[in-house]
Amino acid sequence: MLLVGIMAFPALAQKPDQDPISIIEPILEVHCFPCHHDTKRSADISLKNIFMGINDTKALIVRDGKVWLNVVKQIESGQMPPKSHSQMSAEDSEALVQTVKSILYSSLSATNPGRVVMRRLSHSEYQYSVFSLVGVKYNAPEIFPADGSGGAGFDNFSGTLFLTPLKMERYYEAAEEIMDQAHADEILWRKLVPESYKKSFWSSFGDWFLDIFTTVDRSEGAVVAATKVIVPFASRAYRRFLEPAEKDKLLGLFRKVYEGMDTVNRYDLAVKETMKAVLVSANFLYRYEEELDVPIDYSYALSNFELASRLSYFLWSTLPDQELFDAAIQNKLQDSTFLQAQVKRMLKDPKAKHFAESFVTQWFGISRFRETNPLDPGRFPELTPSLRNAMYQEMVAYFNYVLNGSRNFLDLIDSDYTFLNEELARHYGIDGVEGEEIRKVQLTDRRRGGVLSMGSVLATTSMPLRTSPVLRGKWVLEEIMGTPPPPPPPDAGELPEASHKKNANLRQLLAAHRAKPTCANCHQKMDPIGFGLENYDPSGRWRESYGDAAIIAWDTLPSGESFRGPEELKKILRTKEDEFARNLSEKMFIYATGRGVGFVDELFIQRLVKNLKGNNFDPEKFIIELVQLEAFRYKVNDKGERFIVASN
Amino acid sequence: MSSSKWHISRRRMLKGLGASIALPFLQAMVPPGMSSYNMGKRPVRFACLYMPNGVNKDHWTPTGFGSNFELSKTLKPLANVKKDILVLTELMNKGSIFPGAEGHFAKTANIMTCRPILKTLGENINSGGISFDQLMAQQKGQDTLYDSLQYGTERVNSGICGATGFTRLYAASISWKSPTQPCTREIDTRMAFDRLFRRFLPDTKQRDQTWKQSVLDLVAEDAKDLQRKLGRADQDKLVEYLESIRSLEQRIDNEAKLKAFEEQVSPQMKKELASLNLRIDEFKEQFVGVDVTEKLRQMMDIMALAFQSDATRVITYMFGNAASGRNFSFIPGVQGSHHQISHHQNLPGALEEYRKINEYYVAQYAYFLEKLKSIPDGESNLLDNSMIMFISGLRDGNSHSSRNLPVIVGGKGGGALKTGQNLEFAKETPLANLYLSMARVMDMKVPQFADSTGELKGIYS
Repeated sequence: MLLVGIMAFPALAQKPDQDPISIIEPILEVHCFPCHHDTKRSADISLKNIFMGINDTKALIVRDGKVWLNVVKQIESGQMPPKSHSQMSAEDSEALVQTVKSILYSSLSATNPGRVVMRRLSHSEYQYSVFSLVGVKYNAPEIFPADGSGGAGFDNFSGTLFLTPLKMERYYEAAEEIMDQAHADEILWRKLVPESYKKSFWSSFGDWFLDIFTTVDRSEGAVVAATKVIVPFASRAYRRFLEPAEKDKLLGLFRKVYEGMDTVNRYDLAVKETMKAVLVSANFLYRYEEELDVPIDYSYALSNFELASRLSYFLWSTLPDQELFDAAIQNKLQDSTFLQAQVKRMLKDPKAKHFAESFVTQWFGISRFRETNPLDPGRFPELTPSLRNAMYQEMVAYFNYVLNGSRNFLDLIDSDYTFLNEELARHYGIDGVEGEEIRKVQLTDRRRGGVLSMGSVLATTSMPLRTSPVLRGKWVLEEIMGTPPPPPPPDAGELPEASHKKNANLRQLLAAHRAKPTCANCHQKMDPIGFGLENYDPSGRWRESYGDAAIIAWDTLPSGESFRGPEELKKILRTKEDEFARNLSEKMFIYATGRGVGFVDELFIQRLVKNLKGNNFDPEKFIIELVQLEAFRYKVNDKGERFIVASN
Repeated sequence: MSSSKWHISRRRMLKGLGASIALPFLQAMVPPGMSSYNMGKRPVRFACLYMPNGVNKDHWTPTGFGSNFELSKTLKPLANVKKDILVLTELMNKGSIFPGAEGHFAKTANIMTCRPILKTLGENINSGGISFDQLMAQQKGQDTLYDSLQYGTERVNSGICGATGFTRLYAASISWKSPTQPCTREIDTRMAFDRLFRRFLPDTKQRDQTWKQSVLDLVAEDAKDLQRKLGRADQDKLVEYLESIRSLEQRIDNEAKLKAFEEQVSPQMKKELASLNLRIDEFKEQFVGVDVTEKLRQMMDIMALAFQSDATRVITYMFGNAASGRNFSFIPGVQGSHHQISHHQNLPGALEEYRKINEYYVAQYAYFLEKLKSIPDGESNLLDNSMIMFISGLRDGNSHSSRNLPVIVGGKGGGALKTGQNLEFAKETPLANLYLSMARVMDMKVPQFADSTGELKGIYS
C-alpha cells in the first residue's frame, strides 16, 4: 500500500489502511463528475472515466498526472467547483487535495527507474539477432504472425508482445529452417562449427574393444569438441555467460542426439539440433532482467550484460557485438565516459540503420507502406510498389542522415535536402536525379525537405481517392507536436469521397464543420495545418490547382501565425521546439526502454527536453543523455512494494 | 457411414452403470475403424465470423418475426439457407458501453468476452475476461488436434490510437485465452493451409521430427529454471511460453488424435485439398482495392475442411479488423474505404454504398453456410451440426452505436436450435445470453457468462 509520503501528509497518517480511492471518489462524485463526465467533458476533461470498470484507478491518476495536478490547483485556488455550483466543505477539499497529491508525489522520483516486464524479441529484432548469431537471413516480420504495438506505437513494447501456441510453432519451424540453411551452406557452417569431429579408425576400433571390457565413455571426445562450439554459441544467443547447469543440459542434448545416430556426419547433426534448441529457448527469445533474491526497496543497476543488451537492442535491434560483450565482462559500461564512447561508436556502425528504420517508420506510421497501398490503385496507378519503396527508403535514409550527418532533429520538420532516386525525383518534379539508388539531393526550394512533405506520409494521411486536410492536420498534431486531438463525437461523420475536382468544396464543407461549437475546438487546430499541405495531392505530387479551381493553401494557426503554402508552414512548425522536443523525448524514451511513459517519468523527460534544447537537437548528445538516465540503467525489484504504483 | 457396426452408445453405457456421473469419452468405446466423431452423434462445431464497422440499420433487420419473415435487402444472399438461420434482434453487448469506450476497439475486443476492456496504450492489456470461444476450447477442445483456430484477413494494425487512447492490438483480437492473453490469428491462407493440410499433399517432404521432443523438453526445463530468477510480472509473462511449449508437445505426443485426424481425410478430401492448394498458389493480393472474395473464400474453405476433418471444432474468423479501411471500390457502385463509408452522415448515397458492403460480407457468410450444408456429416450435414455466428460490434457505424447488434446464428447446433426464425428480444437483452444458450447446446459447464441474465427464449427446437 501507499506508505511513502505519510510524513508529509499527516492527515492521511491517521488512516494508513484506508484505500485513497475510497476517500476521494465520493467527494468527486458530488462535486466534479456532474460536469466532468465522459459524455459531458466540460473543458474537455473527464475525471470519471478512470473510476469505472476494471481500472487500476491509482495508476491511472498517476498516468494522467498533469490533469490531476491541475485539479489540485483549481481546487486550491477556489476556481473549482464553480461558484454557481455547490461548494466543497473545508474537510472534503483538504482530503481531496492531500490524497491526490500524495498519490502523485509518491510516484514522482528521479530515482525510480520504473520496471520493464520481460520482452519477447520483436520480429525484426529476432531477424537481426538470428543474422548476427547464425549468419542466416530469415524474414521473420513477413513470416511470423504480426504483433501489435503499444506505448508510443512501437512493436518492441513489452506489454504487446505475446507468445501463443501458434507463434511457438513458428519459432520452432524457423529454428529448423535457419539451421537447415546454415548447415547447407558450407562456408557459413564452418564459421559456426570450424571443424567436424571424427574418430580415427583406430579410435573406433579401440571403442569396440573398450566397449567389451570396460565402461569408458565413447562419446567423450565428441562432447569435448562440441563444448567449444555450443557454449560460445549459446552464450552469444543468451547475451550472457552460461550457468554450469545450462551447459550440462545443452551438452546432454548433444550427447543424446549424437549417440542416437550412426551416420558419418552425426557430430554436425547433433550440433545442429542443439543449436536449434538454443534458438527456441526462452533465454534467446526473451530479453529479461534478473530479479534480486531478496526484495529491496531501492533501485539498483542492471547487470553489465543486461545493460549491454539494452544498448544493443536500442541502437542496433540485435545482440551485443564482441566489443560490447567484452566491455560488459570487464565491467566498463558503468563508466560514463566509456558509455559515451560506445554510443558514438554504435551510432556510426551500419547496424544503427536498424534503429533508424524501426524507429522512424513506426513513429511516423509508415512501417507497412511498402506492402499496403493506402490509395485507390485505379485512380493513382503511378503509386507503384517501386515508388512506394523509394518513398519508404527516403524516410529511412533521411532519418539516418539526421542521426549521423546533419545531426539536428529539427531537420525532420524542415530542411533544404531530401533523399531521392530517379523515380521518386520525377514524381516530385525534381530534375537531375538518375538511377535507382537513393541519395541525398540538395533542394533549390523548400517544397520538399522534412517528413511533412514526404510522399509516404502524404499518401498515408490521405483517403483512397482524395486528400484529407483533417487527417493530415491531425497527423501533424499527433506525430510531430505530440498533442493528439480527442476523438470526434461519434456522429461527426467524414466527408464523402469525391473526385479531386470537388476538393475545392472541401474548404467550404470544413468551414461549416468548424462553425459547429462541438467541432470547432479541435478543427481549428487541425484544419489549417491540413490546408497548408493541400499543394500535395494524395500521392504526394505537387499541384497548383484542383483541375479548374485554385488551391488556397494559406491559413492561420490558432497560435496566431499566418502562412502561405507548405514552405512557410514548415518554417513555422520548426519553431515549435517545446512541443517537438517533448514529443521526441517521450517517443524515444519509450522505444529505448520498452515501457510506457507516465507522469512518474516527468523528471526524466524534462532532462531529455532540456538536453535537446540546450544542444541544438543533437541526436548523439540526446541519446547519450538517454542511456545515462536511471530509467535506462537501473531497475527496481518487483518483489518490493514501494514501486508498485509506479510500475503500473 | 456404416451404422450397422457394433458399438455401445455412451448413454447406454451410463445407464448400464446406473450412475449419473459424467464419464469421459473412452477410446475403448470406439469400435475398430471408427473414431469418436464418425459415430452416430456428431460433435457440434462453433464459429464466430466477425464483420467490422457495423451495418446500415435500415436494411438489416428482416420484416416479420418468428418463422414467417422476409429477408431484408442486405440479408438477401442468405435466401438459400433461410431455413437454417436465426436472425437475432435487440441483443446488446453491455461490456462495450462504458465511459471512454470511444471508437471501435472497445466494441470489438470484447465481442465475445462481454466485459469492458481496459483503456490502455499497451500496458496491462485486458479484455475483461476469457472469450466465449476460448471457454469452449478449454472445456470441449481436448478431443481434437487443435482446441481452436483463429483466422483473420488483415494484419494486426500497427501503432496506437492517440485520440482514443487504445492500442490498436484490440482492433484485431476477439479471441482471448485469458483476459490478458489475446490469441494469435493466422491471416495468410498459405500458412493456414500448410499448418493443417500440407501433410496430405503428394510429394510433401516431412522434416525429421525425431529430436523435437528432446529439444522441447530442454527448453521447457530451461524456462522453468529461468522462472526462479524473475520477478512476478516476468513470471506471469513466462507462463505464456510454458503453455505454448506444452501445447506443441501435446500435438506431437498425441498419436491417437493425429491418427484420428488423418483418418478423417478421405481420398475425396485429398482431391479437394490439392485443388485448394493450387488456388492458394494462384491467388496473390496485389494491392488494396483488388477483389478479395477469392481470398476470403479460400480461408472459409480451409475452415470447412478443418471442421470436416475434425482438426478443430472452434474457429473465429475476422473478415476485417475493427475500423477496417478496406478499399471496396471493386464492388460496383462503391467508391472508397469501408470505415470512411461507414461514417455515412445519413447521406443517401453513402448509406447505399455502406449497405452494399454489408451485403457483400453477408454473401461471404452465406457462402460458408452453404458450403457446410453441402458436406455430409453423420446422418445430416456439417451445417446442421454447427453454430456459425455472424456479428458486428456496432449497429450503426456512423454513431458507433452498439445497441441492437447485428447478429445471426447459422446451423442447428446438432438439432438443438430451431432455425428459420427472426427473433426480437426485449430491448437491451445481453449478448451474453446468446453465449449462455450456446454453452447449453454445447453441454458446457457454464452457469453464467459475463452479464448474462438467462438463456435466450425461442431459439431452441
